This record gives sequence, C-alpha cells and structure tokens, in this order.
Amino acid sequence: MLFNSVEYLIFLPLVFILYWIVAKFNNLKIQNGLILTASYIFYGLWDWRFLFLILASTIVDYFVGLAIHKKQTQGEKGKLFLWLSILFNISLLGFFKYYNFFVDAFVDMILLFGYPIQSTWTLNIILPVGISFYTFQTMSYSLDIYFKRIRPTHNFLDFATFVAFFPQLVAGPIERASNLLGQITNKRSFKYEQAVEGLKLILWGLFKKMVIADGIAPMVDDIFANFDTMPASTLVLGVSLFSFQVYGDFSGYSDIAIGTAKLFGIELMSNFKFPNFSRNVAEYWQRWHISLSTWFRHYLYIPLGGSRVSRSKAIRNISIIFLVSGFWHGANWTFIFWGGFHALAYIPVFLMGRNTIYKNSVVAENTLFPTFKEIGQLFATFVIVTFSRIFFRSESLTDSFVFIKRLFTEFRWEPYHHPMGYRMIDYFVLLVVFVIYEFRMRRDERNPFKFKSPIVRFIAYTLVIFSILLFYDDGVDRSFIYFQF
Amino acid sequence: MTTGSTAHLFISNSDMIKLFLKTSLYLILIVLSLELLVRVFHLYPEDSPRFIDNMGVEKRIPNHNGFSVTGNRRQNFSEYHINNQGFNSYREFTPSYSKKELAIIGDSYIQGFHQNYYNSIGKKIENRTKDQEVYEYGYAGWDLADQLHLLQAYADDFDKIDHIVIYMKYPMDLGRATYEPNTDRIKQLNSIPFKIRDNIKLLHYASQIGFLDPVKNLFIEKKDAKKASNNDQETPLDSLYIANFDQLLKAYPINKLKTSLLLDKRKTSVKFLDYCRESGIDVIDFGREFELSKKPTTLIYDMHWNNNGRSLVAKSIIEHLGL
Repeated sequence: MLFNSVEYLIFLPLVFILYWIVAKFNNLKIQNGLILTASYIFYGLWDWRFLFLILASTIVDYFVGLAIHKKQTQGEKGKLFLWLSILFNISLLGFFKYYNFFVDAFVDMILLFGYPIQSTWTLNIILPVGISFYTFQTMSYSLDIYFKRIRPTHNFLDFATFVAFFPQLVAGPIERASNLLGQITNKRSFKYEQAVEGLKLILWGLFKKMVIADGIAPMVDDIFANFDTMPASTLVLGVSLFSFQVYGDFSGYSDIAIGTAKLFGIELMSNFKFPNFSRNVAEYWQRWHISLSTWFRHYLYIPLGGSRVSRSKAIRNISIIFLVSGFWHGANWTFIFWGGFHALAYIPVFLMGRNTIYKNSVVAENTLFPTFKEIGQLFATFVIVTFSRIFFRSESLTDSFVFIKRLFTEFRWEPYHHPMGYRMIDYFVLLVVFVIYEFRMRRDERNPFKFKSPIVRFIAYTLVIFSILLFYDDGVDRSFIYFQF
Repeated sequence: MTTGSTAHLFISNSDMIKLFLKTSLYLILIVLSLELLVRVFHLYPEDSPRFIDNMGVEKRIPNHNGFSVTGNRRQNFSEYHINNQGFNSYREFTPSYSKKELAIIGDSYIQGFHQNYYNSIGKKIENRTKDQEVYEYGYAGWDLADQLHLLQAYADDFDKIDHIVIYMKYPMDLGRATYEPNTDRIKQLNSIPFKIRDNIKLLHYASQIGFLDPVKNLFIEKKDAKKASNNDQETPLDSLYIANFDQLLKAYPINKLKTSLLLDKRKTSVKFLDYCRESGIDVIDFGREFELSKKPTTLIYDMHWNNNGRSLVAKSIIEHLGL
C-alpha cells in the first residue's frame, strides 16, 4: 500500500480512529495488537507471503535479544547469539537482494580468467519491499543489547510492533529500539498538537512526493532513457532534476512516515534535514538519510575504530562505510561506485578537519540570506552530490561512464521539451519556489508550515493542495524510489 | 476508573473532537478556495451541451461560445463557437446553389475543440482558396452511421453543397450497420451526477486530469477486466466492417460524384481501400502528407491533430479536390 494511494487514504483514518478508541480501554496490548495487525495488513496487501520473512526476522531477534542478555547476566558477552542475528538477517538480504549479483560477479570473474561459463544459477527472485530497512532495524536491536545500550523486551507483541510499525516499515526511518521500542512499551495518549503536526508533515510529504518528485519524474525518465542521444546541457538538466526527484521522493516518504507516526502518538527520528543546504559533503551526510548514516556510524564505523585511529585506518573506515552504504542500496556496481565516489569526496573534507564543523549549525545561521561564500559552498556540494547521482540513476556502469563522457564531449546547448508537452518554465518556477521555501524553513524540518498568522497558514495549505492538482499527471508511476532498496 | 483517568479521557475526547472539527472546517474552506482558484484560472473543461434534434441528429445546442481545456495547467486551451446549426464553426451554414461550398463531416477531429474555432481545417481551406465556403459538421463520437444519417436528415442542405468530405477512421467508424440515435448518452449527460460534475468546476477539473481515476478504479477495475477479456474473444474482420459499410451505403445512399472519404491510408485496410476503389468511392489520403512532415502532426498529450496536422489535412483536401 502506497502512502499516496486511495487505499491509504481509507486505511489511515480507519486505523487512526480504531487506535484511539481502543486506547480508551487503557490496555496497551490491544493498542499494540491493533497497530501490529494494521502493519501486517499494510504490508500484506503488497505481498502477504513476505510477511513470513518479517515474522522470521522478528522471532529470531526477539529470542537473540533475550539470549544475549541472559548470557550477559551470566558474565558472558553473548557474541555467538549476536552473530546468529547478523548472519540470519544478512542471509535474508543476501538471498533476496544480492544472490543474483554475486552469481553474476562470480561468472564474470571466471570469464576474466578465460573460462566462459553458461550460468544457470541465477534465480527469478522478487525483492521483498523494505527488506533492507526492517532487517537493519532488527539487527540494531540485537547490537544495542550486545553493546548494553538497551535491555531486551520480554513482550513479543511489543517487539513485533517495533519491527513492523507500518509508517516506517518499508522505507524507514530505520529506527533504534532505544527510541521506538521505548515508546511502544509505554501508553500513548492523544495529543492535539502532535496530531496537527503529523497532519502538516503528511501534507508536506505528499507535496514533495506528488508535486516535486512525480512532477519531475517523466523528464528524468526520458533523459536517462535517451542519454546516448542527448547533449550535455540536457544531461546536466536530467541529473540535476533527478537530484530533486530523489530528494522529494524519499524525504517526502519520510515526512509522511513521521507525520503518520505522530498521529499514533509516536515520534520517529528525523531522516532528512535539508541536505540541499549543505556546505560540504560531510554536512550533506549529516542531513541526508540520517537514519541509515547514523546506523552505519554506530554499528560499523565506530566499532571499526571510527576516526580515533591512525589516519590511514580512519580513511579505510570511511571508505568501508561508504562502499557498504552504496551496496546497501542495491545489488549493482553502480551503487558501489556511487558509494566510492562519496568516499573520495568525503576523505579530503575529513583530512582538512572540516567534517564536523557544520554539525550543529545551518547555513545563514543568523541572517536572512546566505553569504556569497556560503552560496558557493552550497553550489559546490550540490554539484558533487548531483554528479554522484549519475551512478545512482544509471542502469549499469557502462551507462554511467557513457553519460559522463557525453557530459564532457557533447557540450552544446539544445532546448529540452517535456515528453508530455508541458511547459518547462512551470517546473523551473516550481523548483525555485520550493528551494526558497525550504530555505526559509531550514532550521526546523518538522514544521513545514511555520507561520504565525492562521490566514497565511491556510493560504499555504491551499496552495500546496492546489499545486498537487496542478502537477498531477496520471501517467506517472507513483511508487517510491526507495522501495526498490 | 479513577477521577483522574476519567478527566484524562475527557480531555482526550475533546481534543479528538477539536481535531475532527478543525480538520473538517479546514477541508471545507480549502475545497471552496480550490473551487475558486479553478474557476479563476479556468482550469476546468467546458463541454458544450448536446441534444438530439427532431431529425434524430445528435449535436450541440446552437448559439453559444465557450472554452475547451485539455490536459493539466491548461495545456491546450481553445475557444469554440457553436453556430446556429449546432456545430463548432466560425461561420453559419447557408448553402445555396450559387456559392461554392464544401462540407466536412466527422468526429472530434473535425469538431475541432482542440483548436480555436477560427483556426480550424475549414478556415485553413478558405484562407488558401477563393470564394470557397467550408461547413464543418463535426461531433465527438460520431461514426459512419451518424455521418450518413446526417447526410440523409439534412438532405436539402447537402443537396446544395458542391462537395462532401467524410472523415473516417477505419475500422472504428464501421462498428455498426444501422443508425440509432444515442439517447442513452444524452440521458447520461443530463443526469444529476453529470450535472453536479459540470457545475462543481473543481470536480470536473479533477476528473478530467485523472485525479479521481484511482477512486473510480476502486469500483470499476474488476468490471473493466471482465469487459476486456470478453473483447479479446472478438476478432476484427475486414469482411465484417466492409459488410457494415455496404449495408450503411444501401440504407443511406451517397452521391459518389461529390462525396469523398477522408482517411489515413497507412492505417486503413488494403481490402477496404480496394473495396472503395471497386465501388467508385473517392478517397482522400492525408497519410502521405503526414508521413512526409518533419514536424509532429498530433498533439503530444492526445492523438488529435495539432496546427501542423490540420494544415496538412487542409492541404490534402485542397489538392485532391483541386479547390
């Protein structure tokens, strides 16, 4: 079920009303049971067979968590059980997401040595939606218990609800038990302000998805499908638009997820903090897909030693997390190159000691407009990040390199026309307004309609909904990009 | 239950009611504002009202103007003018034996709601010829049965017209062998749900851009799938269409000396073209002009002819008839 579907428009109010009705009984079991049932229906409507995978991952990590804790009370570390969780979840991912990739890579490697083989080992495997998200979430639970950051829950229902909580089940934010499980094990009460904040975030998320991402999608699809005939000017346009598309798509999803959770009295972590206003690549990674980057930071980078090791080892650690992060996105060399490119862009920033200087600030912190220096920094970061998206969006590495080659060899300008005949100026105006609006709200990603005057707020709601209508195109694939990961 | 928890429940309930009421109020105000915006920017399409006259011809209610809107954000915005006779045209139809007149009969392609009425195929022909009057009898949804029935119903008028061009799409326009006025369609368009849709511009706009399709699909998806599977069993046969054509011509004989079929030969069955040749029916092919054109001939978002396409059709007619 998609957040931007009619089914969800019916599903969400129904679950919301039922949830707060059962809350009256003061029985957490019923409330969590309802959320769990709703979550399984939400997921099962896509493909009920893969519910068993979620259930298996839930059962394994529930018992692993208890077992690790038991071992720890006996003075042991419980490492064996931690490995059981890691192996189980990685195996799920390995089979459903990476099996064919490894088979192909093996066949290619054998071919390099001059032994061509006809592979019959690849399988026609459907990638279960959200597998990369919920496996990482369950693994984080076992890891947190192992590192003694949390204590395990003895309530299976609570744990299953934590794993399957539908707003963030299929595309995050990848929650930590320390945040989400704690809220699930406690009684939630309805708070008007929280619900209103949730509705506002849902509206803003829908705008980002349905107007920005879906509005741009036909042009991006067209340019990336025909890149081998297009001039550099169009390719620059295509990849720049893709930057906005993927941001609108994924951050829109996250906003709807966070907003939906708020309706149920639950606060999820922020996943995006205006990455387009980053002053260097390091700041970008503090603002883009935060739940994944912090996951890798906590469970991979720091255990490897982080930056508190020799420079060479720190560079190794940075390279590892970026390459693994790239590979997490998909079983394709393009994602590994994308990760590698970001490592190359990050390492100089790290070596100059500038990787944390913008950690607790925003651009134009105390002023209305950014300085020229800041504009230059934002532009440079956008160019670097956008360039990396060529790898992210291309079907294959060959396509990526042809795309890049054409960027530098077919340097001419030709007007580009929208494949559906719409005026291009509409989209440029839309993006400029969007960037200015987001710049205005850059300090608070959770409050998209921060206006003192209720009339201005009302106008903003109306215009947002009006733009959803204005940029609606019934021929667009409405699924979310990150569902494929 | 303690007094405290009762109070707590009460607060929760009142907060919930507040949320419900405020959300409902906001929704109503937003919908009203959207209706206003849609009207101010004229995003909604206007469908000129239709009726069936006493001759059994389905057409538009005469004498009014409006704007046709296609696609989102007024992608195509054009003015129409329904003349005295109930057809979209820049001129009134006043056939006489003393003037040079050409009639073009057809469906939405000839009706021309995708262009300003003063830039139609007929107008293009008149601009490129001398003293030629062109009468465009176009109506969306017409097939050959409708067109031939029109010729018979207004026989007195067509008698005075020098040449008649019938636009035909093969095989879609040959789906039936007898004419029956489509009273169901008129009834449906005059029904309350349709009237509501036409009066609530936001609803009409949302419906036109496909925004409401997901809602409709919730209810009609299965029905359509069933329909589609039934259609799959039918095999289109040239002989069936030719038989329909034959039967229609018997019921509504045409004057072959002054009637031509306008069609795209690239999309028409060879068997049907052979049949026309053998029957002495003149055919105007605009497909060749379209093929030679370097510029697109249709609109991007639908298959109706764009300005270039209409110019090429006009050119084909002029050259073929030697106007």
